[in-house]
Amino acid sequence: MKVVGITTQQEVYVGSKDRNFRINEFLIIMDEYQGDLMGEVVEAKTYNRYIPLNINGDLVDSSVLESLKAIGYNVDEDTIYIAKVRLLNEAQYPIETGSDVRVPRFKEVKNLMVKSTKEEGLVLGAIKNTDQMEKDMDEEFKKLLYLFEDGQLIPQKGIPFIFDLKSMHQYPHIGVFGGSGSGKSFGLRVVLEELMKLNIPTIILDPHFEMDFSESQDYMPEEEKEDFNERFKCLQVGYHVGVRFEELNPQDLKNLLDASSPLTDAMNNVVDILFKKNDSFQSFHDRLKMLSEAQEEGSPDKIRRRIEEATTEAERDGWKRRKELYETYDKICPYSSVRGIFWRLKRLENEGIFSNDIHEIEEGLKMGKLIVIQGSTRMLQVFSTYLLNNLYHRRRDFKDAEYKHTTADYFPPFIIVTDEAHNFAPKGYDSPSKSILKEISQEGRKYGVFLILATQRPTLLDETITAQLNTKFIFRTVRASDIQTIKEETDITEEEARRLPYLQSGDVFISSATMGRTIYVRIRASKTTSPHTMNPFDELLNYSQEREEKFYRLVKDKLPINDSQILFTLTEIEKESGEVLNMDQFKEKLENLVLKGKIEKVTTPFGDMYK
Amino acid sequence: MYEISKELKEKVTQLNSTLVDKYKDFFNMDSIQLRDFIDKNVGEIVEIKKLTKDELTKCSEKGGIVGVDGSKNRVGGAYPHYVEIFQGLAKSTLHKEKPIFKADFYTPLYLEGERELLKKFEEEENKEEAIRDYKLSGIEVEVALEAVEKFSPYAIMMDGSLIRYDIECFDKWIELRKKCEERGIILIGVIKDIKTSIIGQSLVEQNNLNTKEFLYDREILYGLLGYGEMIRVEDSMTKKSKEGFTSIFMRSSKAPNIIGMDILDSQREYLDEMARLVFSLTPSSSRGVPLWLDIVDSQVKVSDKMMRSLLERYLDRQVLEKFFISERDKRIL
Repeated sequence: MKVVGITTQQEVYVGSKDRNFRINEFLIIMDEYQGDLMGEVVEAKTYNRYIPLNINGDLVDSSVLESLKAIGYNVDEDTIYIAKVRLLNEAQYPIETGSDVRVPRFKEVKNLMVKSTKEEGLVLGAIKNTDQMEKDMDEEFKKLLYLFEDGQLIPQKGIPFIFDLKSMHQYPHIGVFGGSGSGKSFGLRVVLEELMKLNIPTIILDPHFEMDFSESQDYMPEEEKEDFNERFKCLQVGYHVGVRFEELNPQDLKNLLDASSPLTDAMNNVVDILFKKNDSFQSFHDRLKMLSEAQEEGSPDKIRRRIEEATTEAERDGWKRRKELYETYDKICPYSSVRGIFWRLKRLENEGIFSNDIHEIEEGLKMGKLIVIQGSTRMLQVFSTYLLNNLYHRRRDFKDAEYKHTTADYFPPFIIVTDEAHNFAPKGYDSPSKSILKEISQEGRKYGVFLILATQRPTLLDETITAQLNTKFIFRTVRASDIQTIKEETDITEEEARRLPYLQSGDVFISSATMGRTIYVRIRASKTTSPHTMNPFDELLNYSQEREEKFYRLVKDKLPINDSQILFTLTEIEKESGEVLNMDQFKEKLENLVLKGKIEKVTTPFGDMYK
Repeated sequence: MYEISKELKEKVTQLNSTLVDKYKDFFNMDSIQLRDFIDKNVGEIVEIKKLTKDELTKCSEKGGIVGVDGSKNRVGGAYPHYVEIFQGLAKSTLHKEKPIFKADFYTPLYLEGERELLKKFEEEENKEEAIRDYKLSGIEVEVALEAVEKFSPYAIMMDGSLIRYDIECFDKWIELRKKCEERGIILIGVIKDIKTSIIGQSLVEQNNLNTKEFLYDREILYGLLGYGEMIRVEDSMTKKSKEGFTSIFMRSSKAPNIIGMDILDSQREYLDEMARLVFSLTPSSSRGVPLWLDIVDSQVKVSDKMMRSLLERYLDRQVLEKFFISERDKRIL
């Protein structure tokens, strides 16, 4: 390999007669005057001057090439390989043309590629096209992971990519971008597995109910399987966890109600006036309800009449209270706003938000677990606003107390992970969860609270937040506008951006401030599997086969069945299994079995017979 | 700005009508009749097949094929301020890492070095041209000779007619010819651009065509043969020009033009085999030249750029400027 053609201080072409190049491969240029210089292949080409692409000129057909080969001359051997190599650091002078080029040894690239150890960092995958440096790689970096390629598991190939978790203190927050099917969720899963391994307290908002780590991948060899059951906990909003109403302050409550659907100024006002300290859900709910009922009556006279007409003591007291409320609040709380708040409150209650608290989450985090919060996107929006505010401030209070030399309860640093992040922090309009995410993205670093935000649409993610994501994992992206955003937000090169639509699922460009450049990585095989991996069409097939099988078992003993006997058979089946079928359904199912060849249909003088 | 002058247009139109008029008999000739005539009077038209893989492998086992080509290039202005460089290459299909290169130059500024040749071509009308031709042909024959010694190939394929070597550098040619005949190395020449007029001559002689001037084979055969057809020219026809060679014409590619091939008389038994070899090595969609010769050609070629950088690098600046840079070279428009 030699440097050929015109060179510059930044880029050179390297030619070789016998070795093909790969993109993102590292090469060392041995410049006679400037010493060894490291470069990365950014473009690879091959060329054979005897087989040119010349549409108007001679075109060499394969029979001639075969003939030449037969008389001893192989044209293929005249193929030359050319690589465009970009130097990692600009040279002082243009590179000497004709300099020799060689493949680096592991120790020469170690500092560039490996920034952490498997004990301290996240082992996320293998750096692509580094397998030629594997030979003299330190033992501690070998056999750390498996890769999944072309439908099968293969051992580690190349230098491992170990994400330096500690560097997040300087360069906080990670963005994970990529279209559907690009391996984004899969990459997120691997990140989470690694976080669990290191016992890092983590919260993940999971609108897809897919972040379950209890099942191991079938393909993993037995000794590599790992049990994560003790390290994570799935909690559903409204079922396992919720908001403790008594702990809400007026702002929290407004946030919650607002998340349900946006509040008007008048509604905000109503909350401020009607929500009292130490209110329970019930007391606040009753106050709203009574006031609105009183307002429905319309005037103090009408309410007075209600009191007079009351038949029981309780009813009378109730109307008296309504009257008081009416007299105190009617002027300042318009009826429509009171109703609005009331309905929003009801809606939240129906969803179960107020039925529980976040105690379990706090405890889990303190134990270094991964807490998976599941719920519909809307529920998560509502709940996360409250939850993240709460947890972030707990951590913040603790740290602030530490600085101020006062005491506060210990609360650990933690990481917040979410898929579909553009739903939680959208660009262009306000959403309650956005303000807290924005705050964390800007200040979280100081308090040890970090974000990992995954989205298919980086363009739709709030820009202030995107700007704070110091590390970006970029999976296959097809949409031009998203590629544009990625180009603006990362140090990805023009060549790399052009490759984005063609990346294989699970291949990722990692643009990281720690590394100072983009690294091309193959994400490792995950140890656990998502509950959603079954193909829906397989599922359909399984389901119909199962049903068929079940029906066959039911009728098997009753064969042969005559047309005339069907009614009788039906009642029998109903008695035995409780399955109720009508004549037509039953016959259709029998016909189906005939089609599948499981039973036979014979025409007899007494009608059809199935046997 | 680049308008074509009216007169120029008229002149070209005139040329067209003159040629059409002059050759109208020829253009009107029936191609079937013409083929028939050739078949009967010049040589039979036969269809040939490409060599099979086994036959090709045999070629390789017996020593492979050597391709020989030469190239010349000239820098400078009018006489005597120019230098011409010659380069010859023999390349074996088997020993691809050992090409045999030879080079020479000629410049009227240094005739002292050419005393011998000047004497040799004393009789020639155009001495200078004869010397230059001698040098180029000679160099090609020399590399071929060296290839005979070094590689002892099955066959040598020269770029251009064998007759040319006979005419231009007879002494060296005879040596090559003798050596090949002694060692049983087949020697052929492949002619990309045929300049003979065998058929035209014969047409006129037999009174089939009513012109005074000869037509060249090139225009007569254009498009006349089918892909893979060749004419084995009867010896009686070629003898008129030069003795000792047997020739064929062949359409070796889909392009309508015809190439020629000649072989030593003494080796005529290999004529068909060699024709088939040439056919096998020619891409069907090319101009009709065997790929092997194209490969050799591309490696021996002294391009303008190469020539310039060569002189700029190895001639003193003043030598170059004083002798070989013409006014034309400095023109930039």
